[in-house]
Amino acid sequence: MATVIGREPGAPGAATPAPDGAPIATVNHLTKRFGDLVAVDDVTFSLRRGTVTGFIGPNGAGKTTTLRMLLGLAEPTAGEALIFDRRYAALDEPARRVGAVLESNDFHPARSGRDHLRVLALAAEMPASRVDEALDLVALGPAARSPVKKYSLGMRQRLGLAAALLGEPDLLILDEPANGLDPVGVRWLRQYLRAFAQGGGTVLVSSHVLAEIAQTVDRVVIINRGRVIADAALDELAGRGQTLEDAYIELTEGAAS
Amino acid sequence: MRAQLAAELLKLRSTRTTAGLLASMLGLVVTAVVLHGYGLSATRLETPSDQLTFLVGWGEVLGAIFAGLAGAISFTGEVRHGTIRPTLLATPRRGRVVAAKCLAGALAGLVFGVVATSVAAVTGRITLAVRGFDVALDGGDYVLFIGGGAAAGALWAVIGVGVGAIVRNQVPTIVGLLAWLLFVEGVLGDNAPGLGRFAPGALGQSLSGLQPDTLLAPALGGLLLAVYATSAVAAGTVATVRRDVE
Repeated sequence: MATVIGREPGAPGAATPAPDGAPIATVNHLTKRFGDLVAVDDVTFSLRRGTVTGFIGPNGAGKTTTLRMLLGLAEPTAGEALIFDRRYAALDEPARRVGAVLESNDFHPARSGRDHLRVLALAAEMPASRVDEALDLVALGPAARSPVKKYSLGMRQRLGLAAALLGEPDLLILDEPANGLDPVGVRWLRQYLRAFAQGGGTVLVSSHVLAEIAQTVDRVVIINRGRVIADAALDELAGRGQTLEDAYIELTEGAAS
Repeated sequence: MRAQLAAELLKLRSTRTTAGLLASMLGLVVTAVVLHGYGLSATRLETPSDQLTFLVGWGEVLGAIFAGLAGAISFTGEVRHGTIRPTLLATPRRGRVVAAKCLAGALAGLVFGVVATSVAAVTGRITLAVRGFDVALDGGDYVLFIGGGAAAGALWAVIGVGVGAIVRNQVPTIVGLLAWLLFVEGVLGDNAPGLGRFAPGALGQSLSGLQPDTLLAPALGGLLLAVYATSAVAAGTVATVRRDVE
């Protein structure tokens, strides 16, 4: 189904007019151990207002575990992950500050996409009108009233994104959001995220598709085997005469050998 | 908390799981009452106690089982389908999520209990009438039976939420609840009735006035069942707050 996604990207909620470049989220010496395995090892980085940061690394590098700790789903073994200077769980209205998608299929298969959003809007005390606004934004269309089991992967990604955008958040945290989107959807997502950041929003987007990331992000944080091996603006990499791919291959292979 | 309760109630209404459980329960209640109404000899269906325990009592038993399953699935279903993540992102204070599930589950369980016992009562009367037996149960018996069934359903749904929150994995939770209620408690009741009457399934039955010679008085049974439910929820809350979500 070749749906052209969406309206013009909306501006993010303007609850906190922080200056551009101010840290929105900080990850300090974050560590997570599962028994003997160190999944996340002393990770430190910050997200600055108005930027799109790419969080990249091989599968199993610790990206998702880091995001889970940032979102309060997992407890750090050491260190801390703060959003607006607080732990996620301590935010007053977390869904209005942060929109997040961790998995592309966190839906009940028999529940309609619209009901999925209605449930979340009720829980986060958002006006019911936000449900249809968010659905419009991702152009899910009449399918929103069908059970999610009938959705393609791309439609599930869009529904997840609609859930993240429900609260008009200041910060978007997206784990592999382009997975399963068709080229039109990928392009729409890229434009949406750029416009979101230009409007003062902040984005952290994980991916292993470097070509996609390179066109979307301002900065990259590269993680391998649980450790941050690069944290740089794309310009800085380009200044060294490196493409993102060059830098990524060099760094991850260097760290592996 | 009101927001989370509204969200939980919409979750119950927006899939067919709850309605499917209710329909399965009703089918089993009618089948069980009719089969026992025809299968049992006249001497086993004479006294009010016998008619409650051996005939219409299936309404309470099945109501409690399905209420427990509904409560458990309200938690384990979220783990199974991954909706636990968006749920906890919307409400990171996890204790509130468990509490809202208990309240929503208790309401659903109450409906399960009332429907199951009412249908069992009506089916029992019809079956007795068709066989030409006297109905020995009076209004007071029915009030206790249906009211107790409602309370047992509500409490069992809460137990289900607690057990689901502790176990998290859906299949072991359901198998465990069914094995306990349908097998372990039967063995206990047959071999060690003094102990078996303190088991949570038997306490639910005592609430409805079943086996009055063996089981505890309804009020005491209800109180102890509430203690079980509170303990299960307390443990489920601690487990949910302390453990990472995948």
